[in-house]
Amino acid sequence: MIKPLALQTWKFLKSIQLTIVLLALLMALVVLCTLAQVEMGTAGAVNAYMRSFIVWRQFSALPFPVPVFPGAALVGLLLTINLTGKTLELKRTWAKSGLWLIHAGLVVLFAGEFVAGMLQVDTNMSIEVGQTVNYVQSYKSMELAVIDVTDPTWDEVYSIPDSELSRGGAIPIPGTPLTMNVKKYFANAELSNLPAGQTSMATAGVGPGVLVVEQPTVTADGEMNQASAFVEPVAGGRSYGVWLASAAIGAPQSFTHEGHTYLLTMRLRRLYLPYAFTLKQFRHDVYPGTDIPKNFSSLVQVVNPSQKESREVLIYMNQPLRYEGKTFYQASFGKNDTLSVLSVVENPGWLLPYVSCVLVSIGLLVHFAIVLRRSLKRRQDKKEA
Amino acid sequence: MNFLTKYLSWIAGGLALALALTFALPSGKVRGFDASGFGTLPILEGGRVKPLDSVARNSLLVIHSRQGFRHAGHNVGPDEWLLDVLFRPQVADQQPIFVIDDLDVLGLIGAKQTTARNYFSFSELGPHLDEIQKQAATAQPIAPQKRTRFQSSVINLFERVFLYYKLRNTLQLAGSPGLAWELQSLGSKDASLRHQDLVQLAHFRILPPTAGAPPEAWQSVGQALTTANMGGPLHPGLTPLAKMNAAYLSNDPAGFNQALADMNGLVNTLKPDALGHSGREVVFNRSQPFFVGMIIFLASFMAACISWVYKPEVLRPTAYALLFSGAIVHTLGLAARIILQGRPPVTNLYSSAVFVGWGVVILGLLVEKMYRKGFGTAMASIFGFASLIVAQHLGEAGDTMEMMRAVLDSNFWLATHVVTITIGYSGTFLAGAIAIAYGVRKHIVAVQDIETDRVLADMAYGIICFALFFSFVGTVLGGIWADQSWGRFWGWDPKENGALLIVLWNAIILHARWAGYVRERGTMVMAIFGNVITALSWFGVNMLGVGLHSYGFMDQAFWALTGFCASQLILMAVTYAPPRFWLPRNDSHA
Repeated sequence: MIKPLALQTWKFLKSIQLTIVLLALLMALVVLCTLAQVEMGTAGAVNAYMRSFIVWRQFSALPFPVPVFPGAALVGLLLTINLTGKTLELKRTWAKSGLWLIHAGLVVLFAGEFVAGMLQVDTNMSIEVGQTVNYVQSYKSMELAVIDVTDPTWDEVYSIPDSELSRGGAIPIPGTPLTMNVKKYFANAELSNLPAGQTSMATAGVGPGVLVVEQPTVTADGEMNQASAFVEPVAGGRSYGVWLASAAIGAPQSFTHEGHTYLLTMRLRRLYLPYAFTLKQFRHDVYPGTDIPKNFSSLVQVVNPSQKESREVLIYMNQPLRYEGKTFYQASFGKNDTLSVLSVVENPGWLLPYVSCVLVSIGLLVHFAIVLRRSLKRRQDKKEA
Repeated sequence: MNFLTKYLSWIAGGLALALALTFALPSGKVRGFDASGFGTLPILEGGRVKPLDSVARNSLLVIHSRQGFRHAGHNVGPDEWLLDVLFRPQVADQQPIFVIDDLDVLGLIGAKQTTARNYFSFSELGPHLDEIQKQAATAQPIAPQKRTRFQSSVINLFERVFLYYKLRNTLQLAGSPGLAWELQSLGSKDASLRHQDLVQLAHFRILPPTAGAPPEAWQSVGQALTTANMGGPLHPGLTPLAKMNAAYLSNDPAGFNQALADMNGLVNTLKPDALGHSGREVVFNRSQPFFVGMIIFLASFMAACISWVYKPEVLRPTAYALLFSGAIVHTLGLAARIILQGRPPVTNLYSSAVFVGWGVVILGLLVEKMYRKGFGTAMASIFGFASLIVAQHLGEAGDTMEMMRAVLDSNFWLATHVVTITIGYSGTFLAGAIAIAYGVRKHIVAVQDIETDRVLADMAYGIICFALFFSFVGTVLGGIWADQSWGRFWGWDPKENGALLIVLWNAIILHARWAGYVRERGTMVMAIFGNVITALSWFGVNMLGVGLHSYGFMDQAFWALTGFCASQLILMAVTYAPPRFWLPRNDSHA
């Protein structure tokens, strides 16, 4: 009973009908994703259509989102199974060797995109000329940073990521006597002066004078969520008041507990690195007599104490730095050409597409050569006949 | 068979090449002035050294949509026009060269009441300049995609007027007595103010770098005057320029030509290779290989069409010979661009159109050689013609050999990724074109000819395989370039998605055929849809205005693209309809 069903399923999974349907679905998804980028931004559209198993849609009439389309992750997974099944089924003859290579290469390509979708981390690093930076920061995710600045030569940074803040409740901060009570968290909010007669949840810092209005979150490129939270640091049974921390508040606020001064600030999430970059020079060359950019380049001093390494690297267009599993490439600039922004990508599967490319290209060449040879032979036979 | 019918193909091909040669010949002097010699002078504009002739042609294309015009009973060429604009603005201002098509803009300048013509001179626009500038300034901050038709048109008009205004104030301030007077009045009261205006308005830099200066330090007349005014050395190029100016004004051809020779001598000492380079570019400009190619392709297409109904044994080889000549001209043009620019063939949207057309023509020649049915010739020639028309429209935006933006500045990737993917476009288009021929033919011919149908289907199938290979390899190479420059292989950027769609579609066609879901007709219908997908991913993604690849936004093309896609959908329906569709139904007689 089970066995025929399993056989049927396997037969369906490796059928060429399924291949065509999946390819068509993938085309539809690519079109939808491209069109959606105008509204949602590239990252938003890719997450909604490409990196998801199901495409959800929120209709205004319904309180919950409805699945409307299979996501590209699901389609890709099925396609991978389909491809694998097909490949295994191919006769192991030289005549089919091209097809073998093509399909194996495609499986590697899909695997590469899966790895990228699951494990790729996109961050960036902004450095001003002369500045030394030892962290990369996220594009969108926020964190509540609690920084112990008691020692003037060393900042001890503790942070709570936004995913934990959104759950709320009491969050102990390891390594410190502090516990953070998250009273309320806004993924995106607009801050303004509190009108007379209204009160704020905050009791300390700048918070009591500020009105916080929740906003829908944004995903478009270049738009920022102003994450905000009312938090109450508690230590040794004592409350230090309710503070408003927000990405919209520039200056950090501080309180003191048992001789330790802590700064409290909401900022883009940072990942600290075991090495540091110092920007020595930034160049923005233009073609003579025009504003057309000819080249951007950052001359960076890489200092890595654990490797006893200190060297200069020039990062410029089409020439990124691959270092410790991360790729740093020249992405943007600002502040009158004194600030350089490097995009940082960490993708453990970055080699897979290269492997795939070689496999598929050779496979296509071999296969078409075989087909051409056969067709020429047929014509020859016809002539002779 | 008489002599003519025997050698018609050779004669036709030779005539086509002779036509191309006549374009390359230099034109004579204008009223005794060596205008084409003036056009050969090298200048720096848009980041590269080019001849004045290129500035003249590109500016006239932007302003007038053509490279020449007829005024007061004679044809004015680009070099003569530029001479007038630079040295005799009072004459050039009277020439009606500004094309205005938009009715609202016509209304803005009050032209509705007077006449129905669309050409205006600078002096006619003069009273409305403030209003045009005001309207353009209001529209400018709006994102290009969100502008109304009127806003786009008024900005476009403003940009053209401003270009003209800059040109007439590049070598001398319009309305001043000229450059010689400017040189005499160095150090006088208002001189430095005038020099500042000249610096600000200069459209190009005509004075080559002096000995010892950095090799890219070309100077505009304003910059050189400023230096001289502050007591610095006088740039040696100013004197011959001033002499040319004076001689042109006083209608003294001999004096002008002598001053031009002095200027050439000076350029030769300061920048020995610049004159030769600009001379070659002038020859290229004059030959207009893509325009000539367009004419030859059209002739080839007509010959191929006629060959199906009249004297195929004579006209089919003639059509092939014409296509071959067209391909020679097209190839020479492409090679000239590669040499002049020092870059691989595809560097922008314009050159991609030229290259896609070239790819289709070459593929068509090969296919025709293999199958000899006339379809390869007909489809390649009409497609070559169409792609060059598209290129010509794209080229109206200005210099087609513009400098590459920083991230694109990589000859290796331009040569591999861009060329491969563009060949993929060519293949998909040629397969689509053959499918169209198949569909239309099925409805036109009286007797169904299964053998020809099969040959066409074979051609389309082979070309789809070819296109799949190139578009796949091109897409993956693009991914590798992206990995090298942006650190990620695939970013689902619109242009990447467009390329992926072509790959997916060609893969679907082949799988559907292998699995037997579609046969001859179905494959052909799907191949026509390939045209839609390729056109959308080629031009459509630029209209979205998002992503890292959106270098060239264009709005006028939107309707052309929509029309093209609609026409392809209709052709798909036509191809899908069985040939007996038109026949009266038998059962009605029963």
